[in-house]
Amino acid sequence: MNTRFLALELRRAVRNGRYLIFTVVLPTVMFLLFINLYGGAGQRFQNGLSVTTSLMMNMALFGVIAGPLAIGARIAVERGSGWQRQLRLTPLSGAGYLFTKGALGMLVALPGIVLVSIVGAVKGVELGAGQWLGVLGTLWLGAVPFVLFGIVVGLLASADGMQAITGLASMLFGLLGGIWIPADVAPEWLQSVMKVLPTYWIKQLTEAPLVSGVDVKTALLVIGAWVVGLSVVAARRFRADSARA
Amino acid sequence: MTQATAVRTGAAVALSGLHKRFGEVRAVDGIDLVISPGEVVALLGPNGAGKSTTVDMLLGLSTPDSGEISVFGRTPREAVKAGAVSAMLQSGALLEDATVAEAVEMIAALHREPMPVQRALELAGIADLAKRKCTKISGGQTQRVRFALALVSDPDLLVLDEPTVAMDVETRRQFWQTMRAYTDTGRTVLFATHYLEEAEEYADRVVLMRTGRIVADGSVAQVRATVSGRTLRAVVPGVSRHVLAGLPGVRAAETRGDQVTLTCSDSDAALRGLLALQPATHDIEINALGLEDAFLALTGEDVR
Repeated sequence: MNTRFLALELRRAVRNGRYLIFTVVLPTVMFLLFINLYGGAGQRFQNGLSVTTSLMMNMALFGVIAGPLAIGARIAVERGSGWQRQLRLTPLSGAGYLFTKGALGMLVALPGIVLVSIVGAVKGVELGAGQWLGVLGTLWLGAVPFVLFGIVVGLLASADGMQAITGLASMLFGLLGGIWIPADVAPEWLQSVMKVLPTYWIKQLTEAPLVSGVDVKTALLVIGAWVVGLSVVAARRFRADSARA
Repeated sequence: MTQATAVRTGAAVALSGLHKRFGEVRAVDGIDLVISPGEVVALLGPNGAGKSTTVDMLLGLSTPDSGEISVFGRTPREAVKAGAVSAMLQSGALLEDATVAEAVEMIAALHREPMPVQRALELAGIADLAKRKCTKISGGQTQRVRFALALVSDPDLLVLDEPTVAMDVETRRQFWQTMRAYTDTGRTVLFATHYLEEAEEYADRVVLMRTGRIVADGSVAQVRATVSGRTLRAVVPGVSRHVLAGLPGVRAAETRGDQVTLTCSDSDAALRGLLALQPATHDIEINALGLEDAFLALTGEDVR
């Protein structure tokens, strides 16, 4: 991969004001808002997780959805505007282009996670070094399905449609993933819907280093299915796109 | 010259038997073309003549249905990868969230041996726009940014697809001045245009296209000679177009009812032949053909 090109892409993405607000700052703001709302530090959920820790992880996960999703979806804009045609007149291959977007999506997911964790630590989240590493690592890797989802949207949607789709998808992934409302309080039918989404299982996995009884196997299975499924759709769509030309 | 010979003798571009159709439309219908290094060639023709389709295939942006393409002895994609060819594309906005310099820098980052970004901007005459957002510049300036994007890979062959289409007269003149400074360094240039005067003024060689085929190919003077001549208009009762087209000195014939228009290379011979064949011919009118008319006649749909 061309790291210099990636760095220039990153600069372009980071300068985007919307990225900074939604992906980096908003999760932390929501976190601060919610810990005051939910009675603050000291209280614990049924699974033994403190409210502060749980909210910190939920909000970090929220940040992991929107940013990576938006990066991939920008492919739709570059496809429509003719920039992609310009790129085809360079040594960059089509696969190289998609990998760059993928790497970019992973990179933009990082600052939001780190910021909310720092604020979390300040606000009294106490984890061991290994636990921090496990939680942060899982959160970050949790961005993979959303990066891929964004790329699929970018390859399929028009530049106009992309905005609506990413907005709706971010909301649904968050809402039905149990970020805003705990899955336990949802009716059973809704719970089965939630358990189809990657968000729910990523949330489960992030809690795995801290609590017992997490169904890691199912979590990996569901997330893996999303990753493989989205990759296949992206690859096929991309091939069809190239063949048409 | 055959494709193999052309490639062996180091042609910049060698196209042979190139075909491309979109559904029922034969966009490119059998093109053979060899361009030597250092030539500045105009690909001239009206909209829909197949210029852009040819250019796209030459750049590897689309694949021909049949035929061979060689760019400096390589496939188009290999030539692009090696930085031997680059292009200024007709369509295509720039990045809305980047400055002019950043957009050029991104393209430069992808090439193996680019020229410095600053130099590309200077050559394209937009050094003063480096820090401007790509969206905050005029149409003519945007074309110059595209020119810089094409230059930054320091290509041996530069392909321009209707480069001056969004420019006013003054900007167009400036653009070609910049362009000429570049071609003076011995680069090969192929530019598609539908402006006759651009082809006349800036190209060493003109390739005229119509409905997917090359109808004339030569130096500006040669093409001018090919297309110069006279038109003969007359009323000729009950005659077929094929008979008229077969008359001596007639290059093309057109009929509308009994009204006949002959494009002639030798109008005297054509008139003698016509009167001998059709004594009832009347209302004869002969006019000298301007280069513009001749161009239109050659590239017009109905001519055979």
